Amino acid sequence: MALPVIDIHGIHRIYETEAGLTHALRGVSLTVDRGEFLAIMGPSGSGKSTLMNILGCLDTPTSGSYRLEGLEVSSLDDDDLAEIRATRLGFVFQSFNLLPRATVLRNVMLPLIYSDTPRAEREWRAWKALKAVDLPEEYYEHKSNELSGGQMQRVAIARALVNDPALILADEPTGNLDSATSEMVLQTFARMRDRGKTIVLITHDPKVAAWADRTVHIRDGKLLTDEQERAFTASRERKGATS
Amino acid sequence: MRAGDLIRETGSALDSNRGRSLLTVLGIVIGIAAVIAMTALIDGVKYALVGQLGLNRARLVYINCWTQYGSVTANDLERWERDLPEYEFITGTAYGWGEMTVGANSSNGQIMGTYPEFFDAMGINLVEGRFYTEREVEKGSLVIVIDETTARTLFGASGPYVDRTIKLGNYEFEVIGVTEASQMTSNTSYMPLPTLNTRINNYESMDQILGYAREDVDPDELAEKTDAYLRKTYDIDEEEGYGYVYVFTMASVTRQLDSTMLSFQLLMTAVASISLVVGGIGIMNMMLTNVTERIREIGLRKALGARAGDITKQFLLESIALCVAGGAIGILAGYGGAWALAGVASGLAGIEGIAPVITPGAVGMATGICVGIGIVFGYYPARRAAKLDPVESLRYQ
Ligand SMILES: Nc1ncnc2c1ncn2[C@@H]1O[C@H](COP(=O)(O)OP(=O)(O)O)[C@@H](O)[C@H]1O
Ligand SMILES: [Mg+2]
Repeated sequence: MALPVIDIHGIHRIYETEAGLTHALRGVSLTVDRGEFLAIMGPSGSGKSTLMNILGCLDTPTSGSYRLEGLEVSSLDDDDLAEIRATRLGFVFQSFNLLPRATVLRNVMLPLIYSDTPRAEREWRAWKALKAVDLPEEYYEHKSNELSGGQMQRVAIARALVNDPALILADEPTGNLDSATSEMVLQTFARMRDRGKTIVLITHDPKVAAWADRTVHIRDGKLLTDEQERAFTASRERKGATS
Repeated sequence: MRAGDLIRETGSALDSNRGRSLLTVLGIVIGIAAVIAMTALIDGVKYALVGQLGLNRARLVYINCWTQYGSVTANDLERWERDLPEYEFITGTAYGWGEMTVGANSSNGQIMGTYPEFFDAMGINLVEGRFYTEREVEKGSLVIVIDETTARTLFGASGPYVDRTIKLGNYEFEVIGVTEASQMTSNTSYMPLPTLNTRINNYESMDQILGYAREDVDPDELAEKTDAYLRKTYDIDEEEGYGYVYVFTMASVTRQLDSTMLSFQLLMTAVASISLVVGGIGIMNMMLTNVTERIREIGLRKALGARAGDITKQFLLESIALCVAGGAIGILAGYGGAWALAGVASGLAGIEGIAPVITPGAVGMATGICVGIGIVFGYYPARRAAKLDPVESLRYQ
């Protein structure tokens, strides 16, 4: 069987701050197979972004192992992590993070600078990615800040796709969008999944998580399956009822 | 990250805050303008010197000698030439003054009595006619070489002037040559030395003796040797009032000028250094602001795979580009400033007609300074950008 895209085991992440230690992840283990669309759900402060940063090689765990397509990344140095981000990962952020004065096309081509893609290849790759997210061609030369929120997020998805990464990570990608636009963006993610992309999406919204193939829940730095989550919620309701 | 990409990214970043960038580089502009104005003027002075004096003059030794028995004579010079073979020749000159008239026109001016070699040594050029010959000198012929300005005054604007006659004192002189009018030689006429002594001055004198050193001889050493030789030969003792000797070279005069310019150079260097440091701090300040304003962009670039080195290079190149842009403006401003100061410099150096000169070397040096400042003052902000944590930066509001 093919290697899983994500294989993390016993991940801990402890933040050291002046106020003391925050144990943000407590022994998280998770496997995501190729082509899977996974949603990670949890309330604010539960450790979603911390997990996402580790999955995205932007941060390294305090302990535990992380294999990305079989490669152990938890002990790599900053430059090697940068290279992995450039070649194997695509990010979609809640706040889009496009370069405002640059054109749509230049925004989508930005990751190609850091993956040393030959110049001749860049434009058609960007075109292909923009076609995949259904952004009409007339917008390609527009400045990114002239677009609507939904269009911006689709440009951002195109940017995440352009390097043909093994894994697309999205942290609350619909958090800044109204429900109609959210639906369109989520349809785009679903289409990516249909094309065989592996997607991990973080949300606190069950309606968003419903688009995924599978959902895991995170509470106080620990992962729960759907059943555990139901049990947890049920027990809390019972407690709430008795007290 | 490729060099081409780096340059494109830098270009678009600078383009997006052009106004502020221009203000920030003002210090660099002033500093580089000072550097360029200084070098352009100094090069201009040197160029003017070489142009006006002629390279030949570097080989000239000026000999002033007055013995206890009076002026030296042609016979003395022949003896010196024998005893000091390092000279190609030694030639005497004397000064006179007279009013030249042609019909109703007249011109007052200096008249030099010389031998034919004099023209060669001084690098004086003719526009018409010829210089006098050895034979005309021996005979004391009534011939004269005048300069173009004098010729126009006496004969009007149209030549040729050769073969016409000029009345000077009680004699009529034949014009045999016309020299190029230049600042150094204007209003000076030349005639054979014996002619000047017998017909104009009415006494024997040799006011200024010129020695022309052979090509491979160091003129300064020769000047010293000449000085010692003359003192010994004529028993000269200036303190006792037994004649005097003063020997100097054109090269030493030029060196003296160099030392005058050195103080000017020091002043300009101080101005330049101060404004460049102030300018550099301005650049650093702007780059730090720039980094803070673009924290999210830096975080994004890092998330997309930029290495710390890529970020360092990008910001460093931005600061270098800013400095070089300021430098380019400074070069233009400096060249303009040099023209404005050319008059002052002329007075200072005692040379007329200084035209500032911009050499590729000066431009190269200015560019080098700009790149250096860009690196020195851009390094800290660039490193600060590169060290930013991508997670923190992406969250930054
Ligand atoms: N950089 C940090 N330094 C210190 N504590 C942090 C940092 N980032 C997150 N935390 C803490 O870790 C916990 C999980 O945070 P986070 O992963 O952002 O949760 P979520 O994204 O689910 O809201 C919280 O208690 C938060 O305060
Ligand atoms: Mg979060």
